[in-house]
Amino acid sequence: MNIAVYILDIIIYIGIFSIVAISLNLEYGFTGLGNFGKVAFFLIGAYTYAILSQAGVPFYLCLICGGIIAAIGGLIISLPALRLREDYLAIVTLTVGEILRLIVKTESSIGGGVWGISVKRAISISFPAGFSAINKTVINAGVQIVLIFGILALCFIVLQLLTRSPYGRIMRALRDNELATESLGKSRAKYKAQVFMLGSAIAGIAGGLFAQYIRFIDPYMFMPIVTFTVWIMSLVGGPANFTGALLGATLVQIFDRGTNILKDYITLPIDPVNLQYILFGVLIILVLFFRPQGLLRESKFTTRPLKLVYEKRRSDTSNKKS
Amino acid sequence: MSLMLICDDLMNVNWIQILLNSAVTGSLYLIGAVGLTVTYGLSGFPNFAHAEFLTLGAFIGFWIAEDIGAPLPVAFIVAFLITGIISVLCYRFIFQPLAKKGASTIHLMVASIALGFIIRYSIGAVWSWTPMYFSIKWPSYIVGSVRIAGQWSLLIVVALVLAFSMHLILIKTRIGKAIRASSSNPDLALASGINVGRIILITWFAGAGLAAVAGIFRAVNTQIWPLTGWDIILPIFAVVVLGGIGNYYGAIAAAFIIGLAENVGVVFLTSIGLSTEYRMAIAFIIIVITLIVKPQGLAMLFRRG
Amino acid sequence: MKKEEAILQIKRASKHFGGFYAVNDVSLEVKRGQICGLVGPNGSGKSTLFNTILGLQKPDSGDIIFNGTRINDAAPHQIYNMGMVNAFQIPHIFPSMSVLDNILIAARDYPGENMIESLFLRRKWQEKEQKLIEEAMEILKFVNLDMLGFALTSELSGGQRKLLEIAKGLMAKPTLFLLDEPAAGVNPVLGKKIFQKLQELTQEGMTFLIIEHRLDLLFEFASWIYVLNKGIIVAMGQPHEIVDNPDFYQAYLGEK
Repeated sequence: MNIAVYILDIIIYIGIFSIVAISLNLEYGFTGLGNFGKVAFFLIGAYTYAILSQAGVPFYLCLICGGIIAAIGGLIISLPALRLREDYLAIVTLTVGEILRLIVKTESSIGGGVWGISVKRAISISFPAGFSAINKTVINAGVQIVLIFGILALCFIVLQLLTRSPYGRIMRALRDNELATESLGKSRAKYKAQVFMLGSAIAGIAGGLFAQYIRFIDPYMFMPIVTFTVWIMSLVGGPANFTGALLGATLVQIFDRGTNILKDYITLPIDPVNLQYILFGVLIILVLFFRPQGLLRESKFTTRPLKLVYEKRRSDTSNKKS
Repeated sequence: MSLMLICDDLMNVNWIQILLNSAVTGSLYLIGAVGLTVTYGLSGFPNFAHAEFLTLGAFIGFWIAEDIGAPLPVAFIVAFLITGIISVLCYRFIFQPLAKKGASTIHLMVASIALGFIIRYSIGAVWSWTPMYFSIKWPSYIVGSVRIAGQWSLLIVVALVLAFSMHLILIKTRIGKAIRASSSNPDLALASGINVGRIILITWFAGAGLAAVAGIFRAVNTQIWPLTGWDIILPIFAVVVLGGIGNYYGAIAAAFIIGLAENVGVVFLTSIGLSTEYRMAIAFIIIVITLIVKPQGLAMLFRRG
Repeated sequence: MKKEEAILQIKRASKHFGGFYAVNDVSLEVKRGQICGLVGPNGSGKSTLFNTILGLQKPDSGDIIFNGTRINDAAPHQIYNMGMVNAFQIPHIFPSMSVLDNILIAARDYPGENMIESLFLRRKWQEKEQKLIEEAMEILKFVNLDMLGFALTSELSGGQRKLLEIAKGLMAKPTLFLLDEPAAGVNPVLGKKIFQKLQELTQEGMTFLIIEHRLDLLFEFASWIYVLNKGIIVAMGQPHEIVDNPDFYQAYLGEK
């Protein structure tokens, strides 16, 4: 494969998984909700996109519907699960992912069952004659990058604003001490359900983007390993820092592709796919041991007014000294 | 399909066979889940790598029985021991130090998932991902209208022996009393001089060993591949949740309830025209309903467990 | 504001665990603008009674009436937003956030905590936030924590956490403030200062129900005392009456 095309492909994957990773940061890093079924909402978005686009619905509506249905799914799961202890929430979300995959695998009327379903690209360009195949691929990839990184930027800004506000303060409080937050007048069920819905919606949109980019989806693309990969991205980059999620997604994708490229150049005694996931597992355990807060830390200030007060104070004291 | 036809279908079902199948399924889930529920209760987090202990045990058993050609009992024993030792090493060098460093429950769960992937893909690297089958042919007996396969009767016997001996251990021995004390109140147990650390190691060893036994049974009944254990992660967690986390007697009841629910459920699924693949969904529904209605599961029926 | 009106009424409330009655048929009243004390030996049911009032545990029988509303079935967050707040004996802190964040989160009626408003009406909540920060600074100054506003809460000492817990309650501008041993773990001078401040706040219509083992302080400032023993109210009255009441001594000495 042409090297430029290959790099563009990596960049697109980084974009898609960055979106999922920031949604996990929202849920886990800021609010303390251990969602072990991220892949379920990714799957909902992907299949919603695939089915609606086959019915001729415009791509932006497909994406939005994927987000909405994933959010509703998130709400339905959150109603019983959010009142529960974190380990129960983990079991429920993990099993939901398995059940959804079971459903799309079994019901061939939904998305072709095990044979999968082909998906149209969101934006297809009709090229004039005389364009080389490679140029077409590069331009198409460029369009994908604009679309995906545009949506990533939008999600990033919304989440950044949300977490740096009094709302974000409550999210952090819920993570630190749920009962104390409740006894300070905040309904934890309400806040957790909202966060879970928003996080699921974003994962759903990412699923739609994924489906339209690879143009074909089947149930085997939504194994638990997807959830786990996203967790690695979040934990490595920094669970309570959205830039960290981008960093994590980038590093994990490069590592992922790197091991794939490596197999073309050196012969390994074991299959690189197996090796890669073994290394992922080792990596995550090492991160938990030596840097559980991730590469990038949480910002010190919850809101801008607080930061301004802090800076004013510091300049006041330094003026006094000088 | 009309209701009449469904009723007709159900009338023609061999219910005794269903009951026997339920006992077989329940026995498998009990052996597979008992280690998970006890370690979950004692260590405070669900070890998602438990499914991989089933798989690992199955592969070790396969290696001993098929590649080396040793008799099956040897395969069971070796699989039990090796898997148990690996489990203890995992606990001793991953989970215990993490917990000591103050890792949250979520971090411990993530670590267990990571460990699961390490084991699963290592198995994939060593034995490949192509499904394999045990070549052992078991005799099967026809009693009246019921068919009993040889491995089934062995499975039920193992489960019964396990259930009874665990009961004796819990009631009669010092270790058993210590396990009960530690799972109901670890702090109190610690204060009363029980070596909780050693108790936890024992449960990780025996629990994973039993998982290995269940894994071999599962592989003999179906196929063997790196997802042999993960394939039944839903019913295993359903046993743990329905039985009440850490509750041994609850787990026995839950295992057979879920075995029955699945086998009866499959009959209903076929009669209303749904795929039998959905038998896993039954376990899922049991998990969700238990957590909504009574998160402590059946444990309230078995207080002393 | 009518002074003699009861802001909190408890009518024959009971709470038992298994066969053990932690709170047994307790009736009491707290009048508006009062500092009311609740004393009793360890294990007499004081904290359980507090938890029942706050909605953290449901009473098995009886009524709890706050500001004329029955709150037996209200959730803790609803009770808080009605104006009844609590300073826990063991401070409930958010360790990963700054001291100021810990106080700001206690503010009531803060529209910035709504998802839509926090995203789209940023100018509006930021102005409100500036005002709240000023208020929070004032409160911090009063509890001698003003130099620690931006410190991480996990770095505070036990005594400082205690003060933070009280500061959080004040931030909510409650009508009824429950305090569980506010002076425990705080130096004696500051302990007295806290009680003086609370007395000042009663002039503004705030009401206090206080559990305190430092009886000297409590009896100096409280205008009414309830004595709880084994879940039962055994004595009540003004502090000087309680001091002369043999039941009060019985409650404390009976243990030994």
